[in-house]
Amino acid sequence: MRVLVVDDFATMRKIIKNVLRQINIDNVIEAENGKHALDVLKKEEVDLIISDWIMPEMTGIDFLKACKGDDGIKNVPFLMVTAEAQKDCIMEAIKSGVDNYIVKPFTPEKLQGAIDKARARIGK
Amino acid sequence: MEVKYINPFILATQTVFKTMLGITAELGKPVLKTINSTSGDVTGIMGLVGDKKGMIAISLKNDGAMFVFKTLVGDECNSISPEVVDAIGELTNIISGQARKEFEKSGINLKAAIPMVVVGNAVEMNFITKIPIISLPFYFSLNNGNGGEKEVMFVDFSFE
Repeated sequence: MRVLVVDDFATMRKIIKNVLRQINIDNVIEAENGKHALDVLKKEEVDLIISDWIMPEMTGIDFLKACKGDDGIKNVPFLMVTAEAQKDCIMEAIKSGVDNYIVKPFTPEKLQGAIDKARARIGK
Repeated sequence: MEVKYINPFILATQTVFKTMLGITAELGKPVLKTINSTSGDVTGIMGLVGDKKGMIAISLKNDGAMFVFKTLVGDECNSISPEVVDAIGELTNIISGQARKEFEKSGINLKAAIPMVVVGNAVEMNFITKIPIISLPFYFSLNNGNGGEKEVMFVDFSFE
């Protein structure tokens, strides 16, 4: 499985990569915000997108809306990772078509479960 | 300060240590902080606004900060590099997020700013609130919970 990790903090991208490694996912590419991620997705195919919520240039929610509005990307499972546990943020992501979300902190097992649910929702 | 304002920080810190670092953080004796300076060597600071206002500071000594980095990121490190500083910022962000989740259960909605990280011991910090700063020491093992040398992380907060 090839995963695109989108987060403006390079260290957070490394943390997510480290957790992904623990569930045997090593094929990871990175982007530092939604705008950069859309550029990456024009050139690269991925099986899963894991995105942060708060990012400069293009936020996670705007990136999600852009992905779900693009016929070429909309079927890539989209998992939102955020420290924002507030219900209104989660509701906005659900309304915008997110396939699953996970609130930090999380264990490798919890991330695996969230990935499985996101993929199942898309039928992958 | 009422217990209901302290418990979210305790629960948040212990949950984050257990889930992200895989270790137990044992709460020591809370104290009222009389000096407005950082408790450790690397300190993540974050303001909280919303139904209440306050500030939280997560402070580790150098060895503890490097341990957190190594465990979270999976890379080796021997000094307080910019990446270690970022990792403490992220730890602050995650603990603050978890604490806000706990506050939400009590009907208190809070928002947080981007964390700032200060490197240096006893650096002066001015909390925006007027009430005393509570300092919660959390003890953890550098040996992945298998005993040995204990480190301390301070969660300092002022909340009104």
